[in-house]
Amino acid sequence: MSVDLSNVYKRFGNFTAVNGVSVKVEDGEFFCMLGPSGCGKTTTLRMVAGLELPTEGRINIHGRDVTYEEPRHRDIAMAFQDYGLYPHMSVFHNIEFPLKIRKVSATERRRKVVETAERLGISEFLGRKPGQLSGGQRQRVSLARALVRNPRVFLMDEPLSNLDAKLRASMRAEIKKLVSTLGITTIYVTHDQVEAMAMADRIAVMSKGDMVQIASPLQIYDRPRTQFVADFIGSPAMNMFPAAMQKAGRITCSLQPFADALPAEERNRAPQVADSGGQLLVGIRPEKMTLGAVGGRHAVDASIEFIEPLGQTTNVYVDAGGQRFVVVADRVTEKAGDRVGVYAEPEHLRLVATQQVNSRGLGNA
Amino acid sequence: MRSSLRPGLKPVSILYWLMALAATAFFLFPIYWMASSSLKSDLDVGTYPPVWLFTPSLHSYEQLFKEMGALDALWNSCFIVGISTCLAMMAGTLAAYALARFDVSGKNVLAFEVLSIRMLPPIVSVIPLFIIAKQLGIFDTPWLLIACYTLSGLPFVVWVMRVFIQEIPQSIEEAALIDGCSHFQAFWRITLPLLLPGLAATMVIVFMFAWNEFLLASILTSREAKTLPVIAANAIKPKAISFGLASAAGVLMSLPVVVLVLMMQRYLVRGLTLGAVKG
Repeated sequence: MSVDLSNVYKRFGNFTAVNGVSVKVEDGEFFCMLGPSGCGKTTTLRMVAGLELPTEGRINIHGRDVTYEEPRHRDIAMAFQDYGLYPHMSVFHNIEFPLKIRKVSATERRRKVVETAERLGISEFLGRKPGQLSGGQRQRVSLARALVRNPRVFLMDEPLSNLDAKLRASMRAEIKKLVSTLGITTIYVTHDQVEAMAMADRIAVMSKGDMVQIASPLQIYDRPRTQFVADFIGSPAMNMFPAAMQKAGRITCSLQPFADALPAEERNRAPQVADSGGQLLVGIRPEKMTLGAVGGRHAVDASIEFIEPLGQTTNVYVDAGGQRFVVVADRVTEKAGDRVGVYAEPEHLRLVATQQVNSRGLGNA
Repeated sequence: MRSSLRPGLKPVSILYWLMALAATAFFLFPIYWMASSSLKSDLDVGTYPPVWLFTPSLHSYEQLFKEMGALDALWNSCFIVGISTCLAMMAGTLAAYALARFDVSGKNVLAFEVLSIRMLPPIVSVIPLFIIAKQLGIFDTPWLLIACYTLSGLPFVVWVMRVFIQEIPQSIEEAALIDGCSHFQAFWRITLPLLLPGLAATMVIVFMFAWNEFLLASILTSREAKTLPVIAANAIKPKAISFGLASAAGVLMSLPVVVLVLMMQRYLVRGLTLGAVKG
């Protein structure tokens, strides 16, 4: 069942929470809305759920206009950050509740509750109250309650953010497996880029009510459109250096060797990426840089400020004439204070728009 | 060894027990005094030093029911206070729900307006009420007191229930909406059961306010709609106070409240401590 948002706005007084979002989530897709708090991702999700009404725009679920429909007529299920379980009911009755409201027969209800509880591994807790369960168990109950009636669309609002890191990782995998087996269209809201990257078929990165970029996780990682996306995705974040497009088409950069190493294909994109003043950024992921001899071709001479050996990788913080950035290497023999040449792999050099560029002017991939 | 660890045998614990016992005795004594005085004869009631052992007699109660019309007053009190408490609870809880959950413009001003009813001393409004009631022809009818008590109970219900409702996470109701409930079903099936402790605590307090109310009842009624507090006050006669009669009226007045509190005890403990609902 596809979910189609067209030009959806939500304003609270003078504040615009969602600024004209248009996106089509395909049938069976796992779609993530990712962004910092206050970027409008939860508001967008709540509008799909029917818990908020849009100020402007239309929302279609499976071709039917549901913009002003009540939540119960949308055939959606939702998992909340704080679980939203009914504290006065046992786990069994919590899971049973949506079926009861829909007047499903008692035997059928019992069968479905038991089946769903088994699938989520909470059979032994059916008699308990939500208050007697741990965070992870409660989230399982909330998932079971959502899945018990085979909804068309599953909405999740930061369902894992109240869990500890280890549990979060295992639940992440479990949720992904579950919804892909069931083939339910899922819209998932998170501020955790790792979660989004690991689970989503497509990610929409949101900032200040706009969907800045909508693309597959790897596309977003490899080709971030704007400085915001580049900063938000990846840890450590992408290194970015201020650059400008000259009239003759030449690109100047604060670290010129990187601009010179840009492949022709990337260079040709400059007119679309640059803002009205010709400003743009040259970006490269830290792990696509290498350390080498000083003075090489397309190398930037820098001094090592400090080194973070993390075991699997090593973060090397360098300073090139006042420009500080980070290089991720395997293991290094250099020490803080050493002079090194920093090389960028040319095919991984990117032109990135500054934040002043109107994101919607860029179109969506 | 083991027995010395038992908390009951520690000197400090014994001290606590004694203090608790003393406090209970201190607070229970007036009630005992009222109950025993109501069973004393007219002669015993006024003697000094007080008589501790006496032959109980029901003559104060007899006088109360036969001469003072306490049965009618009891019925009036139950009817008036029962209906006004129910009305105040229903209207107040729904208003509180709207104030707590919906985006009503200027709702803080609205809530303050409701509270301002409470700021007016009843004595200020009693004369205008008397005149209006006379002109409307509802003077000395239960409906007048029902209206007054509902109105004076409302602000309390609205303000207290608003806090109870805000305590319930909104996501619980939203989950119900998504699970297939209408707004009303979500309120009825999910919110209301969670509100029970708060409702019980609020109801008992509103009931007690109205049950004990004397000023309005004494001025806005004359014969037909008299309530128990008015009858009890009649025990104080111009020449002397009939202590036996007053005590019997006191016992009669206390009984329904005691019964109500006992019935609601289960909820009251949770309701009065707030924060009873956790997800």
